[in-house]
Amino acid sequence: MGLKVLLVDDSETVRAVMAKTFDLAGLDIEAVHHAANGKEALAVLRQESVDLVFTDINMPVMGGVEMLETMKQDSALANIPVVIVSTEGSATRVDQLKEKGVSAYVRKPFTPEGLREVIDSIIGDSNGS
Amino acid sequence: MDPESTKELLADVFSQVAERLAFMFSEPAEEDEFPDFCQQALMATMTFEGPTTGRLTLAVPHDMCPELTANVLGLDPDDDAITESASQDALKELLNITCGHVLTTLAGEEPIFNLSVPEIAPLPNDGWNKLYREAGTCPLLVDDNPVLIHLQLDS
Repeated sequence: MGLKVLLVDDSETVRAVMAKTFDLAGLDIEAVHHAANGKEALAVLRQESVDLVFTDINMPVMGGVEMLETMKQDSALANIPVVIVSTEGSATRVDQLKEKGVSAYVRKPFTPEGLREVIDSIIGDSNGS
Repeated sequence: MDPESTKELLADVFSQVAERLAFMFSEPAEEDEFPDFCQQALMATMTFEGPTTGRLTLAVPHDMCPELTANVLGLDPDDDAITESASQDALKELLNITCGHVLTTLAGEEPIFNLSVPEIAPLPNDGWNKLYREAGTCPLLVDDNPVLIHLQLDS
Protein backbone atom coordinates (compact mmCIF):
# COMPACT_ATOMS: atom_id res chain seq x y z
CA MET A 1 0.00 0.00 0.00
CA GLY A 2 1.58 3.26 -1.14
CA LEU A 3 1.76 6.59 0.59
CA LYS A 4 -0.83 9.30 0.08
CA VAL A 5 0.86 12.66 0.28
CA LEU A 6 -0.30 16.25 0.15
CA LEU A 7 2.03 18.89 -1.35
CA VAL A 8 1.33 22.45 -0.24
CA ASP A 9 3.09 25.28 -2.09
CA ASP A 10 1.85 28.32 -3.98
CA SER A 11 4.14 27.42 -6.87
CA GLU A 12 2.84 24.68 -9.13
CA THR A 13 6.40 24.26 -10.39
CA VAL A 14 7.74 23.57 -6.91
CA ARG A 15 5.01 20.99 -6.34
CA ALA A 16 5.93 19.35 -9.65
CA VAL A 17 9.57 19.22 -8.58
CA MET A 18 8.62 17.57 -5.31
CA ALA A 19 6.44 14.99 -7.06
CA LYS A 20 9.31 14.25 -9.45
CA THR A 21 11.68 13.87 -6.50
CA PHE A 22 9.40 11.26 -4.93
CA ASP A 23 9.72 9.24 -8.15
CA LEU A 24 13.49 9.60 -8.18
CA ALA A 25 13.65 8.49 -4.56
CA GLY A 26 11.90 5.25 -5.48
CA LEU A 27 9.12 5.87 -3.02
CA ASP A 28 5.87 3.97 -3.32
CA ILE A 29 3.41 6.83 -3.71
CA GLU A 30 -0.23 5.92 -4.18
CA ALA A 31 -1.62 9.44 -4.48
CA VAL A 32 -0.26 12.96 -4.65
CA HIS A 33 -2.71 15.71 -3.71
CA HIS A 34 -1.93 19.36 -4.34
CA ALA A 35 -2.83 22.60 -2.58
CA ALA A 36 -1.66 26.16 -3.23
CA ASN A 37 -1.93 27.35 0.38
CA GLY A 38 -2.83 26.26 3.88
CA LYS A 39 -6.53 26.92 3.47
CA GLU A 40 -6.75 24.74 0.37
CA ALA A 41 -4.69 22.10 2.14
CA LEU A 42 -7.10 21.94 5.09
CA ALA A 43 -9.99 21.44 2.65
CA VAL A 44 -8.13 18.57 0.97
CA LEU A 45 -7.27 17.01 4.33
CA ARG A 46 -10.95 17.05 5.34
CA GLN A 47 -11.95 15.25 2.14
CA GLU A 48 -9.10 12.89 1.36
CA SER A 49 -7.09 10.30 3.23
CA VAL A 50 -3.53 11.66 3.55
CA ASP A 51 -0.54 10.00 5.24
CA LEU A 52 1.96 12.84 5.06
CA VAL A 53 1.90 16.58 4.37
CA PHE A 54 4.79 18.52 2.82
CA THR A 55 4.37 22.25 3.09
CA ASP A 56 6.10 25.55 2.42
CA ILE A 57 6.05 28.21 5.16
CA ASN A 58 5.38 31.45 3.29
CA MET A 59 2.27 31.29 1.15
CA PRO A 60 -0.55 33.70 0.37
CA VAL A 61 -3.99 33.25 2.03
CA MET A 62 -2.70 30.88 4.72
CA GLY A 63 0.91 29.95 5.44
CA GLY A 64 2.31 26.62 6.57
CA VAL A 65 2.57 27.49 10.26
CA GLU A 66 -1.06 28.63 10.53
CA MET A 67 -2.13 25.48 8.68
CA LEU A 68 -0.12 23.35 11.13
CA GLU A 69 -1.66 25.10 14.14
CA THR A 70 -5.15 24.53 12.74
CA MET A 71 -4.39 20.86 12.13
CA LYS A 72 -3.15 20.39 15.69
CA GLN A 73 -6.45 21.76 17.03
CA ASP A 74 -8.50 19.34 14.93
CA SER A 75 -8.54 15.82 16.34
CA ALA A 76 -9.14 14.34 12.88
CA LEU A 77 -6.00 15.98 11.50
CA ALA A 78 -3.73 16.37 14.51
CA ASN A 79 -1.83 13.14 14.01
CA ILE A 80 -0.99 13.54 10.33
CA PRO A 81 2.77 14.16 10.09
CA VAL A 82 3.74 17.53 8.62
CA VAL A 83 7.10 18.14 6.97
CA ILE A 84 8.16 21.72 6.38
CA VAL A 85 10.00 22.32 3.10
CA SER A 86 11.67 25.69 3.03
CA THR A 87 14.65 27.70 1.88
CA GLU A 88 15.28 29.02 5.37
CA GLY A 89 18.24 27.63 7.26
CA SER A 90 17.72 29.03 10.74
CA ALA A 91 18.19 26.41 13.44
CA THR A 92 16.17 28.65 15.77
CA ARG A 93 13.25 28.57 13.33
CA VAL A 94 13.50 24.78 13.00
CA ASP A 95 13.38 24.41 16.79
CA GLN A 96 10.33 26.67 16.96
CA LEU A 97 8.58 24.63 14.28
CA LYS A 98 9.34 21.35 16.03
CA GLU A 99 7.86 22.76 19.23
CA LYS A 100 4.69 23.43 17.26
CA GLY A 101 4.56 19.78 16.21
CA VAL A 102 6.36 19.65 12.87
CA SER A 103 7.65 16.13 12.22
CA ALA A 104 10.63 17.10 10.10
CA TYR A 105 12.22 19.94 8.22
CA VAL A 106 13.65 19.70 4.71
CA ARG A 107 15.77 22.49 3.40
CA LYS A 108 15.68 23.34 -0.30
CA PRO A 109 17.20 22.31 -2.60
CA PHE A 110 16.45 18.77 -1.54
CA THR A 111 17.71 15.53 -3.02
CA PRO A 112 15.78 12.28 -3.55
CA GLU A 113 18.02 10.65 -0.93
CA GLY A 114 17.39 13.41 1.59
CA LEU A 115 13.66 13.28 1.05
CA ARG A 116 13.63 9.50 1.37
CA GLU A 117 15.61 9.69 4.61
CA VAL A 118 13.08 12.09 6.08
CA ILE A 119 10.12 9.94 5.05
CA ASP A 120 11.77 6.81 6.42
CA SER A 121 12.38 8.56 9.72
CA ILE A 122 8.68 9.40 10.01
CA ILE A 123 6.89 6.34 8.69
CA GLY A 124 9.62 3.72 8.87
CA ASP A 125 11.61 2.21 6.03
CA SER A 126 8.87 -0.08 4.75
CA ASN A 127 7.94 2.29 1.95
CA GLY A 128 9.40 2.03 -1.55
CA SER A 129 11.00 -0.52 -3.72
CA MET B 1 31.55 43.22 3.43
CA ASP B 2 33.72 44.44 0.53
CA PRO B 3 32.48 44.00 -3.07
CA GLU B 4 35.02 41.31 -3.95
CA SER B 5 34.10 39.17 -0.93
CA THR B 6 30.42 39.63 -1.78
CA LYS B 7 31.06 38.46 -5.34
CA GLU B 8 32.91 35.39 -4.12
CA LEU B 9 30.14 34.49 -1.70
CA LEU B 10 27.44 34.92 -4.35
CA ALA B 11 29.35 32.91 -6.93
CA ASP B 12 29.96 30.10 -4.49
CA VAL B 13 26.40 29.86 -3.14
CA PHE B 14 24.71 30.32 -6.51
CA SER B 15 26.83 27.66 -8.19
CA GLN B 16 25.93 25.11 -5.51
CA VAL B 17 22.22 25.91 -5.68
CA ALA B 18 22.06 25.97 -9.51
CA GLU B 19 23.85 22.65 -9.71
CA ARG B 20 21.63 20.93 -7.17
CA LEU B 21 18.33 22.46 -8.25
CA ALA B 22 18.74 22.63 -12.01
CA PHE B 23 21.86 20.61 -12.85
CA MET B 24 23.33 23.77 -14.37
CA PHE B 25 26.96 24.66 -13.91
CA SER B 26 28.17 28.16 -13.29
CA GLU B 27 31.53 29.88 -13.19
CA PRO B 28 32.58 33.48 -12.56
CA ALA B 29 32.79 35.37 -15.85
CA GLU B 30 35.75 37.35 -17.08
CA GLU B 31 34.96 40.87 -18.24
CA ASP B 32 36.04 40.21 -21.82
CA GLU B 33 33.66 37.26 -22.17
CA PHE B 34 30.60 38.81 -20.54
CA PRO B 35 27.98 40.85 -22.42
CA ASP B 36 27.32 44.32 -21.03
CA PHE B 37 23.94 44.42 -22.81
CA CYS B 38 21.04 41.99 -22.89
CA GLN B 39 18.02 42.89 -24.95
CA GLN B 40 15.45 40.67 -23.27
CA ALA B 41 16.23 39.92 -19.65
CA LEU B 42 14.18 39.12 -16.59
CA MET B 43 14.98 40.38 -13.13
CA ALA B 44 13.90 38.49 -10.02
CA THR B 45 14.17 40.27 -6.68
CA MET B 46 13.37 39.55 -3.07
CA THR B 47 14.01 41.33 0.20
CA PHE B 48 14.92 39.99 3.63
CA GLU B 49 14.63 41.35 7.15
CA GLY B 50 16.42 40.13 10.24
CA PRO B 51 19.73 40.98 11.89
CA THR B 52 20.60 42.29 8.42
CA THR B 53 18.16 43.71 5.93
CA GLY B 54 18.62 43.93 2.21
CA ARG B 55 17.71 42.67 -1.22
CA LEU B 56 18.92 39.92 -3.53
CA THR B 57 18.55 40.38 -7.29
CA LEU B 58 19.02 37.88 -10.08
CA ALA B 59 18.98 38.83 -13.77
CA VAL B 60 18.92 36.28 -16.58
CA PRO B 61 18.31 36.40 -20.34
CA HIS B 62 14.70 35.56 -21.13
CA ASP B 63 15.92 32.81 -23.48
CA MET B 64 17.56 30.97 -20.60
CA CYS B 65 14.30 30.46 -18.70
CA PRO B 66 12.90 27.51 -20.67
CA GLU B 67 16.20 25.64 -20.24
CA LEU B 68 16.25 26.43 -16.53
CA THR B 69 12.63 25.32 -16.12
CA ALA B 70 13.14 22.14 -18.11
CA ASN B 71 16.11 21.23 -15.95
CA VAL B 72 14.27 21.99 -12.72
CA LEU B 73 11.27 19.91 -13.80
CA GLY B 74 13.26 17.19 -15.55
CA LEU B 75 11.50 17.83 -18.87
CA ASP B 76 12.49 18.53 -22.46
CA PRO B 77 12.77 22.30 -23.17
CA ASP B 78 10.09 21.91 -25.85
CA ASP B 79 7.63 20.25 -23.48
CA ASP B 80 4.21 21.93 -23.34
CA ALA B 81 4.57 22.20 -19.56
CA ILE B 82 7.34 24.79 -20.01
CA THR B 83 5.04 27.80 -19.94
CA GLU B 84 5.90 31.42 -19.20
CA SER B 85 4.33 30.98 -15.77
CA ALA B 86 6.37 27.85 -15.04
CA SER B 87 9.52 29.67 -16.19
CA GLN B 88 8.86 32.54 -13.83
CA ASP B 89 8.19 30.09 -10.99
CA ALA B 90 11.49 28.31 -11.67
CA LEU B 91 13.41 31.58 -11.67
CA LYS B 92 11.71 32.68 -8.44
CA GLU B 93 12.56 29.36 -6.82
CA LEU B 94 16.20 29.64 -7.88
CA LEU B 95 16.37 33.10 -6.30
CA ASN B 96 14.46 32.01 -3.20
CA ILE B 97 16.77 29.09 -2.47
CA THR B 98 19.88 31.13 -3.23
CA CYS B 99 18.71 33.84 -0.83
CA GLY B 100 18.16 31.36 2.00
CA HIS B 101 21.64 29.95 1.58
CA VAL B 102 23.29 33.36 1.18
CA LEU B 103 21.78 34.44 4.49
CA THR B 104 22.94 31.31 6.29
CA THR B 105 26.43 31.83 4.90
CA LEU B 106 26.41 35.47 5.99
CA ALA B 107 24.76 35.21 9.38
CA GLY B 108 24.98 31.58 10.47
CA GLU B 109 22.15 29.24 11.44
CA GLU B 110 20.84 30.98 14.54
CA PRO B 111 19.19 34.21 13.30
CA ILE B 112 15.70 34.15 11.84
CA PHE B 113 15.10 36.14 8.65
CA ASN B 114 11.77 37.06 7.17
CA LEU B 115 11.91 36.68 3.41
CA SER B 116 9.60 38.42 0.97
CA VAL B 117 7.92 36.61 -1.89
CA PRO B 118 10.18 36.84 -4.98
CA GLU B 119 8.97 39.18 -7.70
CA ILE B 120 9.78 39.13 -11.40
CA ALA B 121 9.85 41.97 -13.90
CA PRO B 122 11.36 42.55 -17.33
CA LEU B 123 14.69 44.32 -17.05
CA PRO B 124 14.73 47.60 -19.04
CA ASN B 125 17.22 47.74 -21.92
CA ASP B 126 19.73 49.78 -19.93
CA GLY B 127 19.03 47.81 -16.74
CA TRP B 128 21.40 44.96 -17.53
CA ASN B 129 24.36 47.28 -17.97
CA LYS B 130 23.48 49.28 -14.83
CA LEU B 131 23.25 46.14 -12.73
CA TYR B 132 26.44 44.73 -14.26
CA ARG B 133 28.37 47.91 -13.39
CA GLU B 134 27.06 48.11 -9.82
CA ALA B 135 29.65 47.38 -7.12
CA GLY B 136 29.32 43.87 -5.75
CA THR B 137 27.39 42.49 -8.71
CA CYS B 138 28.61 39.02 -9.56
CA PRO B 139 28.63 38.15 -13.28
CA LEU B 140 28.42 34.42 -13.94
CA LEU B 141 28.24 32.12 -16.91
CA VAL B 142 25.66 29.43 -16.25
CA ASP B 143 25.85 26.74 -18.91
CA ASP B 144 27.19 29.55 -21.15
CA ASN B 145 24.27 31.88 -20.31
CA PRO B 146 25.21 35.26 -18.77
CA VAL B 147 23.68 35.75 -15.33
CA LEU B 148 23.96 38.65 -12.90
CA ILE B 149 23.43 38.35 -9.17
CA HIS B 150 23.53 41.28 -6.81
CA LEU B 151 23.31 41.51 -3.03
CA GLN B 152 22.34 44.81 -1.44
CA LEU B 153 22.85 45.03 2.32
CA ASP B 154 21.05 47.96 3.96
CA SER B 155 22.18 47.40 7.53
